[in-house]
Amino acid sequence: MKRALTAALLVAVAALLLAAVAELPPHGSPDSPPYTHVSAYYLEHGPDEAGAENMVTNVILNYRGFDTQGEVTVIVTAMLAVLAVLLWTGQAEGDQPGPAPAATGSSLVVRFIVRVMAPFIAVFGIYVILHGHVTPGGGFQGGTMIGALVIALTLVLEDTRSAALLPRRPARLLQVAAPLTFFGVGVIGLVLWGEYLYYPRDPSSLWITELLLLVVEAGIGLGGAIVIATIFRVMGAQR
Amino acid sequence: MSDWPPLLAVFLALPLTAAVLTPAVCRSSSTRGWAWALVTMLVTSVIGGVLIARVATRGPFSYVVGGWTAPYGIELRFDEFSAAVAIICLLGVLAIVFSRRYAERALQAERIPYYYALLLLNLTGMLGFTVTGDLFNLFVFLEILSLSGYALVAISGEKIAEMAAFKYLVMGAISSLMVLFGTGMLYALTGSLNMADITSRLAGAAQTPLIVALGAMTLGFMVKAALFPLHVWLPDAHAIAPSPVSAILSGLVVKVGIIGMLRLYQIAYGSGAVDLAGLNLVLTWLGALAIVMGAFFAVFQDDIKMMLAYSTISNIGYIVMGLGLASTYSVIGASVHVFNHALIKATLFLGAGALIHQTGKRTLTDLAGIGKAMPFTVAAISIGAISIVGIPPTAGFLCKWYIALGAMQAGHPFFGFALVFGALLIFIYYIRMVNAFYFREPRDRAAVDVQEAPATMLIPVLVLATLCLVMGVLGRLPLTFIEPAVERLLMPVGGG
Repeated sequence: MKRALTAALLVAVAALLLAAVAELPPHGSPDSPPYTHVSAYYLEHGPDEAGAENMVTNVILNYRGFDTQGEVTVIVTAMLAVLAVLLWTGQAEGDQPGPAPAATGSSLVVRFIVRVMAPFIAVFGIYVILHGHVTPGGGFQGGTMIGALVIALTLVLEDTRSAALLPRRPARLLQVAAPLTFFGVGVIGLVLWGEYLYYPRDPSSLWITELLLLVVEAGIGLGGAIVIATIFRVMGAQR
Repeated sequence: MSDWPPLLAVFLALPLTAAVLTPAVCRSSSTRGWAWALVTMLVTSVIGGVLIARVATRGPFSYVVGGWTAPYGIELRFDEFSAAVAIICLLGVLAIVFSRRYAERALQAERIPYYYALLLLNLTGMLGFTVTGDLFNLFVFLEILSLSGYALVAISGEKIAEMAAFKYLVMGAISSLMVLFGTGMLYALTGSLNMADITSRLAGAAQTPLIVALGAMTLGFMVKAALFPLHVWLPDAHAIAPSPVSAILSGLVVKVGIIGMLRLYQIAYGSGAVDLAGLNLVLTWLGALAIVMGAFFAVFQDDIKMMLAYSTISNIGYIVMGLGLASTYSVIGASVHVFNHALIKATLFLGAGALIHQTGKRTLTDLAGIGKAMPFTVAAISIGAISIVGIPPTAGFLCKWYIALGAMQAGHPFFGFALVFGALLIFIYYIRMVNAFYFREPRDRAAVDVQEAPATMLIPVLVLATLCLVMGVLGRLPLTFIEPAVERLLMPVGGG
């Protein structure tokens, strides 16, 4: 009975949503509002005033940079939530030992492959972070790769060495690298040009904008990687 | 300084950054964490005061971050409704002061830096939510305040707290998703995320998607506001959280749903593209139902914090009913009750927190006769109780009076009766509480033989209780302040 009711409710909601979506301006049509209004402005003016060749980067870091400052804060909030509830019993300050690699049961092959691949993954991650203003990618994507690399290494390295990958004291500051960089760049705009999160937009000084965007990307990448690695480490320490 | 446009961006960016820095700054010293949080919130409050002074003297103003013009950049908009930042800052400061001793006993030392960080994030999320003029930016701040809210409920690390937080998280995540879904639909219809821009571009939009979008967002906001019957997550979460967190959650965080609803009305009424009469009727009925059901459940509670949590459901009912009636008086009453209920509920939750901190007990049965041992705290709680029932001349009276007047004005006197009936039920359970504290014989004399609460806890409670009385006397001030905003809001639908 309960199942039948749930199914009926789901069908009704789905029908309503489908009816609504069917009446939306056609997806992909050049006349639909999402293509003719704000985004049209971004595409037309972005290359000349926003500093990055990649229009997505222009929108998330420049035109709507304040949203992205909020988003990186959301990520840090999630990490703080995990830390607050589970607490960090990392080894760096000698609280209690984490799992030994043998206990995690990774085979010799896995351990060897991860070690061989590590430098290549790291280089690719850094490339994705720094090239994000030209090609698809950026701080979020590259940071995730580096974070995943730290997680993979944690799984195969001996405990003391994997703890050294994420020393606790500097990690406290590095975890918040992304919001901190945003605030720093925001204040630079405030001091030099009188607007929070301002980037110069005339062609002669567009290189300054490009440089600042790179700094922000690097901050997001570093902060993101540390956040992911921290969350994994804290959850991994839960027995 | 109030003429300096970027002040509005600094108002958000500063506490946002200070909040995430808390664990790094205070290491493991809980005193340093407390001081850092308090200074941050005090500085933010001063900026908030400057902004409110400006809106009071010269009307609403905007700042577009990064110097891009709206709708291409993100517009922050400070109007009369944004003056809600006053109560967010005030309760923020008082809850932090109160936490000084409370957190030391209630939480493990390692958790305290994260506690202050999350508390600051929660408060800043609400500030951002209240002053943004951009729909996606609204969602970002909604996420900051929701995530930190879930964590604050779970922070004691006890199993029951984790369960309550998980229930809150599941409901909250679904409601956030509804808001995001509606935002996406509105973007598909208009190509814009700026609220004012959407309002001007909605005319002639297809009706079905528009109604579904507004419906989804309303549903999302009403889950956040815990409107009956979407309230199931609230009692546990609010009762189990540490008391300063309960004060913030019950006083402020549920109001986020109401402020979101006001923003939605600004878009829907302003565009004239859709008729909201049906939605308003549903909200009015659910509001009336919430008043009665919330009060009904509260009567049967023995746990004081549980009782206060159900009382919040009643009061959200008053506010939603006021919005749904959509007459000038009722909307003014509802808007001001957002402010006054926050004040009253914070008095009660912080007062209850002080009792629990001193005695270790939390039920009416165990706390009987506590009035002699902690006279100031119990007096403050009594003032809060009188205010929330709505007895003049306290803060609760004028709002309810305005909502009742609004029911007459809208031609629905029945809802005026619902309001009075609800007030009677509320009177019963608060009289039970005050009676137990003052007149019942203690069950275990040793349990209530305690000292009055320490100064850092007593002062916030007394300040709030005094404000409950002051706002009763100065009640017309916020009402007249919010009036132009409500008239602007209802003008397109011929309210007034």
